[in-house]
Order: sequence, then C-alpha cells, then structure tokens
Amino acid sequence: MLTDLETRLLGVMMMAIMLGMGASLTFKDFRIAFRKPQGILVGLVCQYGIMPFLGYLLAVLLGLPPALAIGLILMGCMPGGTTSNIFTYFSKGALALSIMMTICSTLVAVVMVPLLLEFYSQLRGLPQEYTVPAGNVAQVLVVLIVPTVIGMLLRKWNPNVGATIELVGGLLGIVVILFLVLTWVPRNHALLATTPFSVYFASIGLGLVGMLLGFALSRLLRQDPRRSRTIALETGIQNGPLAVLIVLLTFQGDMQQQVLLIPVLYSLFIVLTSSAVTVWFRGITTREELARDRAKVPTGAAAQGA
Amino acid sequence: MNDPAPTYDHAPWVAQYGDRIPRDLAAREHLHLPAMLAQAARTHGPRIAFTTCMPNGMHGSLTYAQVDAQADAFAAYLREVVGLAPGARVALQTPNGLAYPVVAFGVLKAGCVLVNTNPLYTPAEMEHQFRDSGAEVLVVVDLFADKLEGLLERTGIRQVVVCEVPQFFSTVPRAVIRGVMRYWNRALPPIRVPHVRLAQALAQGAEAARRGTVDPASYLRDVGPSTLALLQYTGGTTGVSKGAMLTHGNLLANLQQAFSMGASHIEPGREVVLTALPLYHIFAFTFNLLCFYAVGARNVLVPSPRPIQNLQRAFDNYPITWVSGVNTLFNALLNEEWFTAFPPAHLKAAVAGGAALQAAVAQRWERVTGTRIAEGYGLTESSPVVCFNPIGGERRDESIGIPVPGTEVRLVDDAGAPVPLGAPGELVVRGPQVMQGYWNRPDETAKTVRDGWLHTGDVAVMDAQGWFRIVDRKKDMILVSGFNVYPNEVEDTIARLDAVLEVAVIGVPDSKTGEAVRAYVVRQDDRLTEDEVRAHCRRFLTDYKLPRAVEFRTELPKTPIGKILRKDLRAEYLKTRGAPTAA
Repeated sequence: MLTDLETRLLGVMMMAIMLGMGASLTFKDFRIAFRKPQGILVGLVCQYGIMPFLGYLLAVLLGLPPALAIGLILMGCMPGGTTSNIFTYFSKGALALSIMMTICSTLVAVVMVPLLLEFYSQLRGLPQEYTVPAGNVAQVLVVLIVPTVIGMLLRKWNPNVGATIELVGGLLGIVVILFLVLTWVPRNHALLATTPFSVYFASIGLGLVGMLLGFALSRLLRQDPRRSRTIALETGIQNGPLAVLIVLLTFQGDMQQQVLLIPVLYSLFIVLTSSAVTVWFRGITTREELARDRAKVPTGAAAQGA
Repeated sequence: MNDPAPTYDHAPWVAQYGDRIPRDLAAREHLHLPAMLAQAARTHGPRIAFTTCMPNGMHGSLTYAQVDAQADAFAAYLREVVGLAPGARVALQTPNGLAYPVVAFGVLKAGCVLVNTNPLYTPAEMEHQFRDSGAEVLVVVDLFADKLEGLLERTGIRQVVVCEVPQFFSTVPRAVIRGVMRYWNRALPPIRVPHVRLAQALAQGAEAARRGTVDPASYLRDVGPSTLALLQYTGGTTGVSKGAMLTHGNLLANLQQAFSMGASHIEPGREVVLTALPLYHIFAFTFNLLCFYAVGARNVLVPSPRPIQNLQRAFDNYPITWVSGVNTLFNALLNEEWFTAFPPAHLKAAVAGGAALQAAVAQRWERVTGTRIAEGYGLTESSPVVCFNPIGGERRDESIGIPVPGTEVRLVDDAGAPVPLGAPGELVVRGPQVMQGYWNRPDETAKTVRDGWLHTGDVAVMDAQGWFRIVDRKKDMILVSGFNVYPNEVEDTIARLDAVLEVAVIGVPDSKTGEAVRAYVVRQDDRLTEDEVRAHCRRFLTDYKLPRAVEFRTELPKTPIGKILRKDLRAEYLKTRGAPTAA
C-alpha cells in the first residue's frame, strides 16, 4: 500500500494530470460525445452489468473463499477510475466520451454500488451491509471535473498555454504510471509471493476480461471501433482506491486485510495490463487514422447517413 | 465544315461572367509585387497577416506591419550583408510557417528572384535545382538541413540561412515545439554546413538598414512588370524538372484574375484563409499567399496537413472563411467526424486545384458544409490560374469552369488548328499570366510556348456556353489498334468499384495492338480480384478500352500534392519488362 503522504501526492498529481487532459479537449469534443449518447449508456451497461457479474462469476468459478469473493465482487461493482481517462488519452481514444463515462458511472455509483453489492452478496450468502461514502464519491467527481474544466477553459483562452499544460499533464501521467509500475513489485514482493494463483487470476482477469467484454458489447451495439476501445478501457479500469476505502469503512481486523487483497492486487495489475493495452490500441488508432486519411468518400447509400 | 477558330475566339464563356466578373482585366494597379505588398501593409498594418497553427494548437502570428518590417530586414540582409546583385536567385525550402512570407517577400523586395524548392526533395533533386537556377542563397528549414552535406560545394550557393517551423513563436511554445521535435520525434538533425540562423540574418539586415546607407527603394529601381520574380520548378509529371520563369507582371495579373472569380465572396480585411497546401507550390503561392495578402486576410498556415487531424486545431481556433485544397485533402476532411459533425461555421467558399475534383467529394462537401468547392484549372507555366468555376455561380460537376478574364483559350489538334465545338483538343492558352519561358531552356520553351500560346498538354472539351472539361493528359493517351483511349475514362470506371481505393491507368507497348491498357489498383477491400475488375470494366467500356492487365499495389507514386505519377509507373514497367520496341 501507499503511505498517506504518497496518496496525497498522487491526488495532487492526478489533478495536475486531469488539468492537462482537460487542456487537450474542446467543448466540441463533448458535443461530439453527446452526439451519440448511446456510447455513454453502453458504457454504463458494461460498467454495472458486465463487471459485477464478471466479478461474481470469477469468484464462483475459482471457488474463492468468502473474504476474497467479497473483494472481487466489490471491485467489479466499482465505477470507472480516473486513470481510465489517462490511458484513453494515450491510446488516442475518445477522451471526452471516457470522461463523460467516468462522471456518469461515478454519479450512479452512490445508488448502484450498494444495490449491486447487496444483490451479489445475497447470491453468495455474504454479509450485506456496506458503507458507500458519498463524500468520497463527491470528492472523486470534484478531482475529475474541476481540473478538466479549468484545463478546457485555459486552452480556449490561449491555445499556447493549453498545449503546454497538455504536454506537462501527459508527461506527468507517464511519470505517475511508471512510478506505480516500478515501485509496486519491490514494495509488495512479500504479498505477491504468498498469494495463491487463483487470486492472481481473479485480479488480472477481472480487468482484462472486462475490457474484452466491454469491447465486444460495444461493437455489438454498433459503436465505432475507436469508441469501442474507449469503452473497453473504461469498463476494465475500475476505481481501485474507492474500493479500498469502502473495505476500510466496512470491515475490521483480519477480515479487512483479507477483503483488501484483491482490490490491492487489482490496482497493481490494472496499471500493467492497461499500459500494454494502451500501447496496442494506440497503434490501431494510428493505423485507422492513416487509412481514413486515404479512404474514399463513401458513395451511395452510406453517404446519405452523414 | 466552317473554320472553328471563331468558336473559341468569340469567347462564349464571357456570357457566363454575369455582372460580378469583369469582362476585361482592369489596368495594372502595381508596377511590381513589392508595391502590392507595401500597399497591403500600409492598409492593414495592425491586422494579423499570418498565423502558424501546429497540430496541438500552439501558434505564432505576425501582423501585416511586422511581416513588412521583417521582409525589409531580409531584403537588406540579402543586398547589404550577403551582397547579392539584382536578379540573383534565392532558394527557399521550407514547409508552411511564418518564415515563408518573410523570406519570400524579402527576396522580392530585394529585387531578387525567388526559387521555390520542395523540402521533401532528395539531395540529387536539390542539387539539380540549385545548379540549374544558379541560386546563391538558400533558406532551408532546420528539419532537412542535413541533406546539404556534401552537396553545397557542387552548387553556386554561398550562404545558407536556416529557418524553423516555429519561427517567430513566443519563447515557451517555441521551446516546447523544438524540444518535442528534438527529443521525441528526433527530427532536428545536426547541421554541419556553415550557416546563419534566420533570426541572426534578420538582425544583421535590420542593423544594416539602420546604418542609414541603405536605400530600399533603390533595390527596385529596375524592377517592372516584365522582371523575373519567381522560378517555379515543374516537370514532376512530365520529365526533367525545369524552371518556369514567372514575372512580377505574370503574378500580379494572375492574382487579379483569380480574385475576380471570387471577389463577390471576399471582404477586404475580414477573411481568414486556411493554407494547408504547401506555399512552395504555385497554387497556394498565388492563391493563398499573394491573393489573400493583397486583401488583408489572415492566413492560417499549417506546416503539414498529414495526418488530416493536424487541421483540427486550425478549424477549432480560427473562424476559417476560405479554404483551398486538392481532392485528397477535401476527401480526408470528409472522413473525419470532428469535421462533418461541426463543419466550419464561417466558411464561405472552398477552391480546389492541382488534380481533378471528384464529383462524389464535391457533392458531399456541399451537403456537409453548405458551401461549394469551386474547381479551377491551371499550370505552373500560367502562374497558375487559367480557368475557374465562378464562386457562387452555377455549379457544373467535373468542369474546370470558364477562362478567367483576360485569358484566351483554344482547343487545337496536333497541327495547331482549332477543333470543332464539342470535340476534344489540346488546351492552349494565351494571356498575361503565361510565363516568359523555361529558365535556360530555349528549346523547351519553343516547344511549349508558340506565338504566345502556351501548350498545356491537356486534352479538353468545351460546350457551347464556354465551360471546359479536362479529358486527359495528351501524353498519357493510349493508342490501342489505332483507337484513342483516355486513361481517365478507364480510371473513373474502375474507381467506381467500392473495393477500389485508387487507380492509375497507363499504356504499355504491345506487339499486337501497338499499345495496351494496363491498370494499377490500390484495393480498399483485399478480396477484390483481377477478374472482378475486368468484368466491371466490360460492363461500361468497349473492348479496346479494357485493361489488358490489372496489377494490385499497396500505393501509387504521387507528387507532393497527391497527383498520381503515371510516368513513373510507365518508366518502371519499361525498365522491368525490357526496353520498348517503339516509344
């Protein structure tokens, strides 16, 4: 785990990064995201339909003990994390859509998370009382929305300032991701060594399979490939810190430590898997851009839709 | 049949001018380009003249007064510091950026001759152009300055000036852009040839001017309409590169001619024109740079329009009213959601040149933006505008429009006699925009300009109202068993297949039919087969026009502005399939 100071520092860094992300956006980008609002709805379905069920399914299939199962299901029920926006930015995805999805899923979290937790816990005969701290959910929203809007306003005011902030935010994002990736293993090697294989599988699988299913469902619901990749990242990347917080508020003692295991491992591995997926997605987007650059204007029926 | 010459000499197109386009070219307003530049600077001094817009939105701008002052400084540098004589050639090799107008205008103000050089040239092409033009000074962008090594000694260049893409940007954006170029893109090579930075050159020029011994007016004492202003190299699509000699008079006339076709949609001092095409190309040089500078427009310069997202910030941040482009550029924009969802709100008109505009692109553009793309036609040798579709007038798909005021056009046969109305013939043009000739190539000049008529090598047809349509390049015509086949017709037929992205058709030697049609296809869908292409052609074309062979490629050779180079395909075919038996 991170120390308190590091957590605070990360919080500040996150705001700086989101300032940069905001500076890469225009209000038009959001209007484009809203042009196909199905995208946001599809995202919500992925977030609160696929992910909790996937958490539950993995817990059952792997026969996880109750404490770990709670951790996994909880992780599945979380809204999208702010890091998904950073990864979407680097993968050249639809950033405005990603941010809208994070905002919506976080807003809905206050209602949906307790409901879903109750439902799935019931299925597994687990305790059904959870505390979802509304204050912290609000904090997530503030950290996300305020810097983004300030960034957007700055770039509208002066594109030179905007582009500089975007660049600094992007660099900071890379630094933070590298920091998390490079420091986690040495810090947690004892934990990593004692963790059974099934827990690894659950922690890594939740994110990866979530991305896969998110992508498949989006394509099925006729989202274009770039939006689908954005939704995939958004679906797979959950708000890990919020899960940790809920566990700390809900459980005590030894039980707390056990429930925490999967959210903590998930948070570690999602940075690694997302980084890899981002590099891959970025390559695909670049190829698509080049292809579109050369493509013919659609003739006949296809053109009428525009 | 009666003599068809009057068909053309009666200029039926003049009836299409309406009351918005003057029948004749007004008397020349300026003696030379610097006079026009000075007047624009006087009239529009504090207005922003040029803005470079980078893909990330970073930008730098110069006002009319600043451009004028910097150009004066550069003129003084050339004449006083380097010591150039009037008429000396200065090569400029840079993508679009603020350095371009400052250097180009400076060269003209110095009474020297500008030589536009494509920055993507190979060292061999550069050497040919520098030697042929006899350039004494080269202004080159830092991105490509490494190509000069080992090449300068073989040219007459005695001073290299290095400019940069974020030239005249403020400190932080400039540092950021150069930092990214150097450390992320690795695009700034070390420059090992002796050189001076443009900023230093300008400072030296300004210093020389301050000493008071300089009389800038004297630079232009012997400059008049017939003085050479620009050596514009051409021949990319035909043969060895030669310099078209364009005078101050040629360019001033042509900017007036081009302006007259769109004047109804131009408000002096209020226009914002997007320049995504390279200024070293004659279309953007005359149309975007000269024409819009003269009317006090703000010119938004984009260093590179590829990938097309590079234009997004320019459209976001500036109220673009005019855009010039080529078919591929408009096509690419129409494939972008950010463009089609929120088309530029202030756009008044778009103009296309360089290569044929496809009807599908033109129609979709009109549906998306609510404005028309007016297609024009021209050549480097004619500064370039010959024909244009009047802006805001009637639209004719696939027509290059009508001749601009003060221009005579005829369609002639091989003997030089006018062809009857409606028949295809080579387009020849006479007017104030026609070049003086090719630099140091009297033989080539004599072949191309006869009795003042510029032979374009393009085959066209005219209708009774005077609208022209290009059929093909004369040289590309294929003779199959004595029948003429126009590659364009075969290309258009093949391009109608949705699985085809691009196509080029050439004629190759054939022992039975003399020549045979050969098609090169870039597929959009890899499942397309040769038989399908042939079957498709058979439905629309008679036997002798059918491609004998279809070859699939991943790309086709093209000029910098995207014109497909059939001659390269032909040369490649002849090289690999043995020497031709007959030319």
